[in-house]
Amino acid sequence: MTHSTGSKAEQYNYDIVKKFAIMALFWGLAGMTAGTYIASELAWPFLNFDIAQITFGRLRPLHTSGVIFGFGGNALFATSFYIVQRTCHVRLWGGKLLPELTFWGWNIAIALGGIGYVMGITQAREYAEPEWYVDILITLVWVIYFLIYTMTLVKRKVQHIYVANWFFMSFILATALLHIFNNLAVPVSFTGTKSYSLFAGAQDAMTQWWYGHNAVGFFLTAAFLGMMYYFVPKQAGRPVYSYRLSIVHFWALSFMYMWVGTHHLHWTAIPDWTSSLAAAFSILLLMPSWGGMINGIMTLSGAWDKLRSDPIMMFLITSLSFYGMSTFEGPMMALKSVNALSHYTDWTVGHVHSGALGWVAMVSFGSFYHMIPKVWNTTLYSVTLVYVHFFLATIGILLYITALWVSGIGQGLMLRAFDEYGNLKYTFIDTVLFMHGPLVARAIAGMFFVTGLLVMIYNITKTISQANKPVKSNATAQA
Amino acid sequence: MSDDKIIKDPITGVETTGHVWDDDLREFNNPLPSWWLWAFYATFVFSIVYWVWFPSWPSNLFDKGFSVGIKEITYKSDAGKEITTHWNTRALLAHEMQNDELELKRQSMVKKVAATSFEKMAADKDMSQFTRAYGKTIFGDYCAPCHQAGGEGIVGFYPNLVDDGWLWGSDLADMETTIRKGRKGNMPAHKDSLTSVELTQVSNYILSLSETPANADAATAGKDIFATKGCAGCHMPDATGMKALGSANLTDKVWTQADVHGAKTPEEKVEAIRAVVSSGFQREMPAWESRLSDDEIKVLVAYIKLLAE
Repeated sequence: MTHSTGSKAEQYNYDIVKKFAIMALFWGLAGMTAGTYIASELAWPFLNFDIAQITFGRLRPLHTSGVIFGFGGNALFATSFYIVQRTCHVRLWGGKLLPELTFWGWNIAIALGGIGYVMGITQAREYAEPEWYVDILITLVWVIYFLIYTMTLVKRKVQHIYVANWFFMSFILATALLHIFNNLAVPVSFTGTKSYSLFAGAQDAMTQWWYGHNAVGFFLTAAFLGMMYYFVPKQAGRPVYSYRLSIVHFWALSFMYMWVGTHHLHWTAIPDWTSSLAAAFSILLLMPSWGGMINGIMTLSGAWDKLRSDPIMMFLITSLSFYGMSTFEGPMMALKSVNALSHYTDWTVGHVHSGALGWVAMVSFGSFYHMIPKVWNTTLYSVTLVYVHFFLATIGILLYITALWVSGIGQGLMLRAFDEYGNLKYTFIDTVLFMHGPLVARAIAGMFFVTGLLVMIYNITKTISQANKPVKSNATAQA
Repeated sequence: MSDDKIIKDPITGVETTGHVWDDDLREFNNPLPSWWLWAFYATFVFSIVYWVWFPSWPSNLFDKGFSVGIKEITYKSDAGKEITTHWNTRALLAHEMQNDELELKRQSMVKKVAATSFEKMAADKDMSQFTRAYGKTIFGDYCAPCHQAGGEGIVGFYPNLVDDGWLWGSDLADMETTIRKGRKGNMPAHKDSLTSVELTQVSNYILSLSETPANADAATAGKDIFATKGCAGCHMPDATGMKALGSANLTDKVWTQADVHGAKTPEEKVEAIRAVVSSGFQREMPAWESRLSDDEIKVLVAYIKLLAE
């Protein structure tokens, strides 16, 4: 299987994969640390220290952008560039320059956005907080990304396009559409940071959640399914379970997702039919989502023993389990009657994290443990540390979502409790007092997860440095 | 390509599609799992029912909505006209506010309390219990952030509502005005008009007014300063305060600004008063009449009165 690794390193552009992979870990650490800090602020408010720049409102977008676009985005660039080359059997299109431009453009955009958030510069659109100048940079990067990806596919030396690439293409196309329309805005001046959105009122809210939920759908789901479709069969050494299932669930998923964003706006001042429609499509989305989970997990049939012996496989299969769980929970929460309880509570936050930590982060960790030794042409420094990381991360996630189920469902029930006279039974502050315990547990859960990531970064650093050693000694010898 | 051939899996006996990528990446030609397919169909059935039950088409395309007769809601408009319409959140809210048993009970209790005198309400077990329960949620959401959940306030910031001291009057009408219109309290600074010695002297006098041990000589000297150098103008010559200005009664043992009870020695108590006289302060109680309904204000006043008694 690895007989041609040496030649593959020359045949393919691995340099760009390495760069994106390292930045993914960097932003992952930054974004998750920020997340753990703001979680701690909610549990212990003195941590705000009365400094505006580090309050929850400023750091929260730093956390979300850091993990979604910093960690997730860089991980997707890295793995998609790795996968498209290896499944098309050609070097990445665009020479050295174009991939390099996506790398610098993307990371500078995240840094610019992040600096803005801390200073209070935001267009206050959830998950699209950067102002117009960063949005333009992102658009340029994305057009180049699209060109590189499409042209590499065009040049491919195999007849069929591998399923992972379908998912990456739909991710690239949908993200372009979402990013451009959601960010249509008029800058106040070209020398200032402020801009005004083209949309207003209910249309604005619906545009934002059309973007917001499809960022989940195409950025955090479709693209990571692409990652899964390559690394799970590769790591298992088994063929993908069902080609037919991959086709059906791919098209169903791509079609259904676009309709569901409005379920974030149930019981608000939007036309009722739009939220009913979103709820109906959310239920339709359940089985297409599960198609990916089934195809991933069933790929392991015939090799179940790997779940005992291979910690990378444990990461990948656990990520699919959390994916299945959160894509079941999501449609349930999208029903109006359930949403009446869950909306505006920590249940939503817990749900997002069972997807973000359980699915997105875990599948990325597993894929990186597989890919990084390959692109650096070495082996992992320590398999034991992969086990350590796995258990730290899993404990963290389970504690996290359990704590927020308690906090969210508990608060939801308190807010709708009435006394014998029909008065509200609890004041808002009563519910906040109740949430203190779960919020402490959630902050500790975040610390578990970040500790796991630190173990990974140590392991990867050691892996890379051991890969570089012989090269260095050669260079010294030649000098 | 030479790899491009269908192989049969020795473990499951299933054939692959014949596509091969990246040396060993293949796909099985398994059919769609039947449980998955049937579950997918089931979600279609569910969604179509949901689609009709909670109408998912723009309702003005169907006049009153096509789900009338399937799932409809009846409520009374503001004009008293009975309206039957398709399911929608506005109609649902109106219907529940007009028909929910607990809500009707609450509304009738609010009306009853609002139309009853405080004394009668307080004497009636049911009404006073209701006032305590309803008032607690209004107070908890709007007042407690400053005055604290039990109404005990924070010395130096927010007045205590459960002691005997009332800056702006303790009868129901005064309390209602305080809540409706808000209050602005202002104690001017005296560090420029009084010397350091005078500040200490007048502070000793103020402390002595509430029968608290103070330096007798200084207090005697302070009495004159109190009468002639500006204090008596607002706090009145007998230091019992003036309701119209919200100036404090200095002869009771209630301290809203200087933390006299928190200070241990007489010297520290004098110092606490001296700091207030020297620097003055401004406080503001916001106006609530635009945010609370008349009934809510009425219940709130009664609740605070009950709290204080």
